[in-house]
Amino acid sequence: MILKMAKIAIAGPKGLLQDVLALLQELNTFQIEPCTAGIMEKVDEGSIRRFLIDESSLAERLYLENIRAGIDELFSYLPQLPFRTSYIAPLAIIDVIAKALPRHIATSKELRAHGEELQKELAGLRQHALFLDTLVPLLAVDGQAKELDFIGLEIKNASVIEHLRGLLSSLTDNRFELASTASPDNKTVVLITIDQSLSEKVRTALGSEHIPELEFPSSLSGLSLPAKIAYARKRLADLSSEIKGIDDQLRVFASRWLPIYQKVLDWVNDRVVLLKATASVFETRMCFFVHGWMPAADVAGVRKKLGQAFTGKVVLEEKEVREEDLDLVPVALRNPPYFQPFEIFARLLPLPKYSSFDPTLFIGIFFPVFTGMILGDAGYGMILMAASLFAARGFRKNNNIRDAARILFVSSIHTTLFGILYGEYFGDLGHLLFGLEPVWLERRTSILPMLYLAVTVGAFHVLLGLVLGLVSACRKKAKAGIACKILNLLAVVGIIAIVVSLFDIFPDLLTRPVIIAVLLLLPFLVFTGGLLGPLELIKNIGSIISYARIMAIGLTSVFLAYVANAFAGMTGNIVVGIIVAILLHAVNMVLGVFSPAIHTLRLHYVEFFSKFLEQGGKRFEPFKKTVKGE
Amino acid sequence: MEKAIIALAAAIAIGATSLATAWAQSRIGSAGAGTLSEKPELSGTIIIMMAIPETMVILGFVVATMILLMLK
Repeated sequence: MILKMAKIAIAGPKGLLQDVLALLQELNTFQIEPCTAGIMEKVDEGSIRRFLIDESSLAERLYLENIRAGIDELFSYLPQLPFRTSYIAPLAIIDVIAKALPRHIATSKELRAHGEELQKELAGLRQHALFLDTLVPLLAVDGQAKELDFIGLEIKNASVIEHLRGLLSSLTDNRFELASTASPDNKTVVLITIDQSLSEKVRTALGSEHIPELEFPSSLSGLSLPAKIAYARKRLADLSSEIKGIDDQLRVFASRWLPIYQKVLDWVNDRVVLLKATASVFETRMCFFVHGWMPAADVAGVRKKLGQAFTGKVVLEEKEVREEDLDLVPVALRNPPYFQPFEIFARLLPLPKYSSFDPTLFIGIFFPVFTGMILGDAGYGMILMAASLFAARGFRKNNNIRDAARILFVSSIHTTLFGILYGEYFGDLGHLLFGLEPVWLERRTSILPMLYLAVTVGAFHVLLGLVLGLVSACRKKAKAGIACKILNLLAVVGIIAIVVSLFDIFPDLLTRPVIIAVLLLLPFLVFTGGLLGPLELIKNIGSIISYARIMAIGLTSVFLAYVANAFAGMTGNIVVGIIVAILLHAVNMVLGVFSPAIHTLRLHYVEFFSKFLEQGGKRFEPFKKTVKGE
Repeated sequence: MEKAIIALAAAIAIGATSLATAWAQSRIGSAGAGTLSEKPELSGTIIIMMAIPETMVILGFVVATMILLMLK
């Protein structure tokens, strides 16, 4: 439900402003309203002006914001490690931290940059090492002669080798050796061995054929191929140990300083938020004045705490929430434990306005009932109940799954109850095996009664929505809105009465006067609601008929269950029959969870909430500390 | 002959509304898939949007049922 809010004004001597704001921040229940519209009286506007921050506060804010930026930069260089909570008082060490911070940033930045450089070199060298390692067996054959030169190539397509062989043959008069092998990264490594006197010529020819020679890092340049291999192996080992050393240094530094810096950062954040809040404060010649909102239930507690802390020098006054304030009032939702899981459905909608209703309550009441009416099978209900209990136990720490499991549990209870009423236990299995009969009606054969039931439920739901819409209009004291809602309500009731008279429930004698009354209401609907007034009436009737889906989707579920049993019987083998039945019932159950849930939500969002819910509320965001419990 | 006409009427009632729903859902589905790629947080709204045209086929189903049950 939407918490009742109080419009609050707090005033006191200017010297106490920072302390008052600090206390309000600690209490975490007051939202400061930076705008004066609708809150400040016209007569007071001349004597009250926006609070001007003094030089020392401004200097403090800049100093703290610099520290905050510095700590953020330092954190970007340090590894993310779990760290202990520090209990050091930040205020006592803030100046020491401010002095040490630039040095720590420089050291960490340098270490991080050096580490990244080494990582880059390591990655490059690893790639070349892969190539060189592939060459080692080839080199074992050719590497003995000192006057030979080696050219390494890495090619993607092995078919190029034949072309390469032809090219080398013409260039060197067959005085070459070409060996190739597949590298671990699915490329082909080629080693060309030629006389040193021919190397320049071959390299030029390879260049003109767009076959690039593998380029080695600068650290390997000038070395022969065997020397390159030896050097790469040694350098790889050195780089790994150097990188590990840098990581260790950063880890040691982080484990020593992260708790302290985090503590200081939290304190700095709170302090900056507090200093920024002074921009929303007003002042007179002697006093400060701050206004905003807090839950009405907290007003007495806050007043008492202000009285105790400032010995009556600071005054809290609760003001009347006027009609024109209703759009400004922030909205906070708080529901009893049963309804809390259903907030995940309400969160799909924008926040309701303060003068409207919390949709959670209605979803919590009607969602399980409608889902149960649609699925309505005691066997499915009990399996879903077990599944929901298992999910709730298995995923205690995952809030979304836990909430979904709770919703499923409540819905499965309704599914079981309606299943008993309909006499459905895995379709007609209960009837076939144990002779179980429906307590109320059998859905498979009672199609029209189910349709009437579904539409009747729809009529009740839509009328409830219209009544809530009327209450909402009354709260806002919107006369045209109230008249339009009343006329719509009367017209819908009249049309329902006319339809009911077709079934001899409503006396025939009254049918004609009711028709005339509904026709007479139409011009008034145009007067109060404009041209859209009668359209709204048609929409309401359409909404009621839309509830026929409760019967329609339910019927598909029933028939699928019957088909599952019939198929199982047709197999002629008990084991195969059981497997087929389990599979088909499982499919039906999965459909039976999603389809009713989606359609029930749709009935709420489109048919029900459109009658009364006003969206576009502002979320209640109290002035609070960044870290709780500080 | 009369039975055949009744059956045909019921078939048209459910068939035409099914096609209309399918067409509407195909349009909403493709738009919804595009929306989800940019704003995954709107998945709940998209599911609801997808379910809205189903009213047509459900009303078609109701009409077909009434034709079959009331005119036989």
